[in-house]
Amino acid sequence: MAAQGGSPNRGGEMEDFKNLSRRDFVTISGRAGLTTLVATALGINLGLVRVVTGAAPGKKMTPFRFAILTDAHLFSIEGHKFDAFLAQAVDNVNNMKPRPDFVVYCGDIAQNGRDDQLQKGVKILSKLAMPIHYIPGEHDWYLDLGEAWRGHFGKPTWSFDHKGVHFIGMNSILVRDFWTPAGMTPKQRMDTMEMLESPIAGPWGVREEQLDWLKKDVKGLGTEAPVVVFTHSPLWDYYPRWNFQTEDAPEVREILGKFERVMSFHGHVHQTVYNKIGNLSSVGTLSTSWPWPYPDVKLAYPDMRMNRSDPALVEDGDGTQHIDLETDFQGTMHYDPFGDMLKPAIKDGFKI
Amino acid sequence: MKSNSKSRFLPGLIAVITLGALGLLVMKATSAREPYTKEELADQEKALLAVVDHGRDLWHGSNPSMSSNGLACGNCHPDAAASNPHTFPKFQADLGRVIPLREMINWCITVPQGGKALDVNGDDMIAMEAYAFYLYRGKQISPGLATEQTSPVVVKSGVGYPKKGSGVGYDK
Repeated sequence: MAAQGGSPNRGGEMEDFKNLSRRDFVTISGRAGLTTLVATALGINLGLVRVVTGAAPGKKMTPFRFAILTDAHLFSIEGHKFDAFLAQAVDNVNNMKPRPDFVVYCGDIAQNGRDDQLQKGVKILSKLAMPIHYIPGEHDWYLDLGEAWRGHFGKPTWSFDHKGVHFIGMNSILVRDFWTPAGMTPKQRMDTMEMLESPIAGPWGVREEQLDWLKKDVKGLGTEAPVVVFTHSPLWDYYPRWNFQTEDAPEVREILGKFERVMSFHGHVHQTVYNKIGNLSSVGTLSTSWPWPYPDVKLAYPDMRMNRSDPALVEDGDGTQHIDLETDFQGTMHYDPFGDMLKPAIKDGFKI
Repeated sequence: MKSNSKSRFLPGLIAVITLGALGLLVMKATSAREPYTKEELADQEKALLAVVDHGRDLWHGSNPSMSSNGLACGNCHPDAAASNPHTFPKFQADLGRVIPLREMINWCITVPQGGKALDVNGDDMIAMEAYAFYLYRGKQISPGLATEQTSPVVVKSGVGYPKKGSGVGYDK
């Protein structure tokens, strides 16, 4: 079910789901109780949320590298150019020296939420030589409210510890139920969510159930614990019209506010972007599909913008990224674009 | 000398004044009509927005012939961002010449989207241009100068267009 190399909770309860069929998984999900049923009615199907904690992270950690792939936006069309872009990204990550310990996929494997698109992604990503952990994007989710996605990847909310660092993944693309009052079909719902500038769906968020989960997840961690959080959308108000935001990001930041430092990585924006709010460093990521333009917003760190992509170069503006974490939770962000598109400030990596 | 000079220039002066008066009469006869009424302006705006709205639909994939790979203009240009309509005509390096916006639109349709080019003088192309220019209303015209990505007007989140669900940046 999960792509080769593992699931979000290696050595944890997620192992239980590895050998389940999709039908079994849906059956189990159905037993999750009233909370999930209510959430589903609201369009907030979180799946099974289980807190898994490993050894408590400490201040000292072992240096290692991880990589981020995101926003492949795979179409059902056979031989689509985006298939090749994702395959190229997988090759690039496999050829890194040293190799990343694991990869996190930050959402939007599919373009239209179709299972065949997710299956295509699973097949390409199965070539990764290291474990991969997934969170969903809106393009993965709103055809069937995440049913197919959960069938492949399990729960969208997770945490695990690795070499002294606490990693958290959350589903940040949950919206109010706009489709039931409008009598929309699943496809109409998906079509509405696909349009970046559509005002219909309103702002995304992680919502109350995940906020409660997050509080419990970090409750036992000391303030010095190194924490890294992944969401599809940024945990700050970048450009709400395109949902370059998470509505309840202030609550997320408040819960994580007790830590000395938190690193946040997100997909969705298809561009290089950086911001720092309080103890939280937020880093945007390159997609493997197309680059989004920068909205007309004054950025706190304008040097982190990438060059304008050249439409004549088919892969320009796309790529992958990796992060090197050192002792005392010092991190260096490296964008790895397919083409030469980085400005000097970020060309050789930058401290986060 | 003074008297001779006056008599020499007087006929010319009269001719100039006469021609000027005639010119004013002609200008009055052919000059712009009285300002449009509020109702007329509303009708004109309605007509424009109908075309803009059609352009928005085309921009987001309503014409299947414009793409063979599922991509629409809106994939790379939400709210027409980075389409830079106010910078055309400009030199396009890969084409090696100065082109108007409509030629760039057709390039995007045929190359990244793998679709069929629009008639450059057709209603669909007019609508595509109307949408892009409308989203860049108020921006300074700077032909040939798009070395940087440019942005359309800033629109508040959730502020929509009169037509339900259009999402056009109509911020009145």
